[in-house]
Amino acid sequence: MKFFNKTLPRRTLLRGIGASLALPLLDSMVPALSAASAQVAQPSKRLGVVYVPNGMAMKAWTPATDGAGFELTRILKPMADYQDRMLVLTGLNGTNSNAGVHASASTRFLTGTIPARTESDLQAAVSVDQLVAKQLGRQTQLGSLELALDQSDVFGSCDIGFSCQYTSTISWRDAYTPLPMETNPRAVFERLFGDTGTTNPAVRLKRIRKDQSLLDAVSERVSELNRQVGAGDRAKLDQYLDAVRDVERRIKMAEAQSNRELPLVDQPAGVPDTYEEHAKLMFDMQVLAYQTDLTRVITFMMGRELTGRTYAEIGVPDSHHPTSHHRDDPALYEKVTKINEFHTSLFAYYLDKLDATSDGNGSLLDHMLMLYGAGMSDSNRHDNTGLPLVLLGGGSGSVKGGRHLRYEEGTPISNLHLTMLDKMGFPVEKIGSSTNALNLLSDV
Amino acid sequence: MKKKLLLAVCMAAPSLLLAAESVHQSVSASNRALLDQYCVICHNQAVVNSLATSNEGLQTTQLRNLGLTLDTEDVSDLAANPEVWEKVIKKLRVGVMPPPNYPRPDKVRYDGFRTWLEDELDSIAANRANPGRTQAFHRLNQTEYRNSIRDLLDLNIDVSDLIPADAPDQYGFDNNAEVLALSPLSVERYVNAAHKIAELAIGAPPRGASITTYDVPLNLIQDDRLSEDLPFGSRGGTAIEHLFPVDGEYRITLNLQTNYVDFVRGFDDANEVELSLDGEHLQTYAFGGDAPGIPAPYSYAGNIRGSDDWEEFMMAFADEGFELVLPVKAGPRVIGATFPREMWEAEGVQQPRLFGYQLAVTELPDGNPGIGSVEIEGPLSIDGSGITPSRQQIFSCEPISADEEPACARQILSSLARRAYRRAVTENDVQGLMEFYKQGQLEGGFETGIQFALERLLVSPDFLFRIEQDPRNAEPDSMYPVTDTELASRLSFFLWSSLPDDELLDLVERSELRDPGVLETQVKRMMSDSRSSGFIENFVGQWLYLRNLDGIYPDPAAFPEFDENLREAFQRETELFIDDQIRSDRSLRELLSADYTYVNERLAEHYGIPKIYGNRYRKVMLEGAERGGLFGHGSLMMVTSYPNRTSPVLRGKFVLENLLGGPPPEPPPNVPALETSNDGKQLTMREAMAMHRENPACRVCHAAMDPIGFSLENYDAVGKWRTQFAGQAIDASGLLPDGNTFDGPDGLRGLLLERPDDFVGTITEKLMRFALGRSLEYYDMPEVRGIVRAAREDDYRWSSVILGVIKSAPFQMRGTEL
Repeated sequence: MKFFNKTLPRRTLLRGIGASLALPLLDSMVPALSAASAQVAQPSKRLGVVYVPNGMAMKAWTPATDGAGFELTRILKPMADYQDRMLVLTGLNGTNSNAGVHASASTRFLTGTIPARTESDLQAAVSVDQLVAKQLGRQTQLGSLELALDQSDVFGSCDIGFSCQYTSTISWRDAYTPLPMETNPRAVFERLFGDTGTTNPAVRLKRIRKDQSLLDAVSERVSELNRQVGAGDRAKLDQYLDAVRDVERRIKMAEAQSNRELPLVDQPAGVPDTYEEHAKLMFDMQVLAYQTDLTRVITFMMGRELTGRTYAEIGVPDSHHPTSHHRDDPALYEKVTKINEFHTSLFAYYLDKLDATSDGNGSLLDHMLMLYGAGMSDSNRHDNTGLPLVLLGGGSGSVKGGRHLRYEEGTPISNLHLTMLDKMGFPVEKIGSSTNALNLLSDV
Repeated sequence: MKKKLLLAVCMAAPSLLLAAESVHQSVSASNRALLDQYCVICHNQAVVNSLATSNEGLQTTQLRNLGLTLDTEDVSDLAANPEVWEKVIKKLRVGVMPPPNYPRPDKVRYDGFRTWLEDELDSIAANRANPGRTQAFHRLNQTEYRNSIRDLLDLNIDVSDLIPADAPDQYGFDNNAEVLALSPLSVERYVNAAHKIAELAIGAPPRGASITTYDVPLNLIQDDRLSEDLPFGSRGGTAIEHLFPVDGEYRITLNLQTNYVDFVRGFDDANEVELSLDGEHLQTYAFGGDAPGIPAPYSYAGNIRGSDDWEEFMMAFADEGFELVLPVKAGPRVIGATFPREMWEAEGVQQPRLFGYQLAVTELPDGNPGIGSVEIEGPLSIDGSGITPSRQQIFSCEPISADEEPACARQILSSLARRAYRRAVTENDVQGLMEFYKQGQLEGGFETGIQFALERLLVSPDFLFRIEQDPRNAEPDSMYPVTDTELASRLSFFLWSSLPDDELLDLVERSELRDPGVLETQVKRMMSDSRSSGFIENFVGQWLYLRNLDGIYPDPAAFPEFDENLREAFQRETELFIDDQIRSDRSLRELLSADYTYVNERLAEHYGIPKIYGNRYRKVMLEGAERGGLFGHGSLMMVTSYPNRTSPVLRGKFVLENLLGGPPPEPPPNVPALETSNDGKQLTMREAMAMHRENPACRVCHAAMDPIGFSLENYDAVGKWRTQFAGQAIDASGLLPDGNTFDGPDGLRGLLLERPDDFVGTITEKLMRFALGRSLEYYDMPEVRGIVRAAREDDYRWSSVILGVIKSAPFQMRGTEL
């Protein structure tokens, strides 16, 4: 009797999900920094991006004077405490587009390019945060985190002819892969801290120990089975053992680092009722993520581009997008300004927290490069020129703030991306449509 | 020549062997001649061994890559290379070889050769059976895991968030052991899942409240009574089953459907919405009515505003939902939210049916309000673990005093382990679980102990893997019947995609599973059991690509009438149809020839069947040749199309692969995209695919695929019947490479029904693959043919085919390692 010998199928590969985001990990996956302990001698740089939709009321945004000592405008005033660490950038352009102006706004913010026109096949370019994440992410549990406040629940096309995916994200892993943004704080917490539901170290340690014993028992049983089968069948079980050992190793590392001090936070139930609560909760999560060094790159959309959200709580019960078409009507302009101001005041809450969190020889904010802004300037005309952009934080000493910088007409936003890469320590020659690094920043 | 042979035979009459030998020789010679005349022109060693040149024809490249050398294969000794001859049979089965425009033997000789090949290979196999070897460790896939949890713990839980999805193998099935790998990520997920499931099943108090949101899709039309769980006289809304983890207080919030600027839909008129729990009315909320001020025009909302007071009124409920805080008992409960149906007709000019972007932005002032989402938050406070189906399932005993606890724990855990591990439980098994019980008991008492032990059970390889082992003293290169334990699992995972139940396990323990008649009885019982829905969901869902239905979004501009109601109806129609076919034990031929189907009002409207009202699915007899059998199902037509057009190629490929068993190979690289218009004039599919017919390298495969697809062109990309496309009448005629002509779906049906062995054989192959969880090899084909032959005697009934698979050697036996 002859069987034709089949070698093990080529499909005996390890297969994970291959999702673009890091996936929920076991509890308290505090980072696998190589020799690092809670004390960080050289605190690493962090990158943060906060995006606001539907352009900006530019008259209340752009400071009247240039250079140092510029006067804070109404929308910038909530960030007054950080004026000395802030660079207001005026005059940078995104690529113009005649169709899909909103899809273009969100897409160009970090990629410097506009989307291909389709409802199904998506195409843009890799975004600068992901380029940074590819490098920094090697040292952290999560490569990067993408968060937002608005669900993408409008199916089909949002900007006519352009898929909704364009307006609900600003991060692109590559030209064809937009990254989904998580909106539920509960899910974010779980991704960061596993499912014990709390940052309480005692609780988490208990869970770590239990999982360890679970896996020990599993390994034992698997080894037992391994002894009972023939050589050819062992491959599957070896795969299992390898997987279990890998997880055990990470658990051990997590246990070793579980004495890291964290604020006591319980897992949120879900999405809070009000916008302000939701925003603040998400900002809290981001601070935690940086603090525990679970990631060093976070992008956050405070609203979906083209959002119709209303802000009754600040006296603007009108929908954002139609109101942003102010037609220079003073009443409507006032309303849009109020919305923009509301966003920056919430952003200031975030800055306060970052500044108050110590990080080695400084605060988190000192070691961060933070970009805040929108993908279009005047919303009424869907203007792609002179985008409202602010660069904040110390960048670990690489950014000298306190100035309003004005660039010559036609400077592409890709130049900013180039400079950001440089400041983060990963200089490249060219990115997107960049022509040069931004001049006035590099004399630091 | 023939005369001589006859004479020789007569003279050598006593020497039968010699006679047989010379018959054999003459048959071989005839077959050799056949191959030399029609096949070797292309499939020869010279071509295969030739060196690739940059300007060679595509056909040459294809032939070389295929590597088939029929000049060197010995047709007088099929046993030397049965694999190659099985491949040949596959091509002959669908008649694609020789390709069009090449000489072909007449039908008698063609079919005769094929039949001869099959018979020869069958008799070779009869002398050296090979049941093949399944993998020793076969991980449960996501569906099987979910069903196992359901049957083990009486807990219905959506595991798609908990454990990773499984990729299907190259045949489209996700229960192939070869592709069910285990990565570190999966291990972590299984551990996390075990925590969550154990907590829910035991009814342990969760750490805090959580919010679950159930969204209603925007293009689900809420015009009618949508669910059996909603009252008569209701309109729209949703009924959801939610698992309340413990007795306690929960908050239920209703959010009405809004447009993208948060205007509530259908706000113009006064309306009511009702909330119910398990069919009992909880609360009614009134909303809407006379709006003050001047409204915005009935158009793109938001840009042209109404008066301020109107705008504010319209958004009055934009951020506030309707909510209710109430005590709810633990367990799965149905929350219903719906509107009472109004008995008047709207006046004036109605808005046209909206779709796509329009649907997102407009507020449908003269339309009906709808439910946008339902949120359930809790537990806000906890009263106790309550009585849930899973608690009842797990706690088969309840200790009254601390002394009784260990014994009760043993009883519970042994019982759970037996079912979870699908075999008799050893002392080792129980000991392992009891250790975890003790840990948990120290921490939180009896129930926590059970919870810990349950976690241990759920991550055990005995649970996660189906294990098959060679007997201790098995000879290499031999075969053996699988143990009764292993057979019971094979049965239950085949027919239910889940664990064997107590009845099966009992039979195994009494060694009665293989007693005469028991197998048949059990199979019959299992197919009538409600758990056989797992078979339909898993096998049929993947065989007929039903699983892909959810991921297709037909272009709203091309198909404005498509909505979620239709998508759901497509799925249910096919599920109900197959379910009926299997339960009534019909002949497999009826899959194609059935004269009935299941529709509700929405689907009937789509199919043009008059006088069907209401949301319930009912059986209807069909008239005419348009519908009837699988080809008339919208589901199948939709999953074999692109979002904006039909694809005759996809449809042809589907039929070849899933009904005729002759899947076409991969297309060559760098095939350009299809041009569907020429100078602005839209082309018919036939015109657009002219290249398929003109280029000989394309023609080889497309000569079979395209005609099949063209015959189904009357069904558009969402399964609607049409007679025109691109300004021309649809030409649904077809000509296959073997000379067969047919017209329209009726013709295609007829063609397939003329060769029931092929079509039943293909389904049997798929069934076998699914049942074994491995790819089929050439040595399985004789088994398949045997099953079909036996089924033929019984008019190819489902029971014959399924029993045939179950009684076959590959299912009953297993080969040892070499």
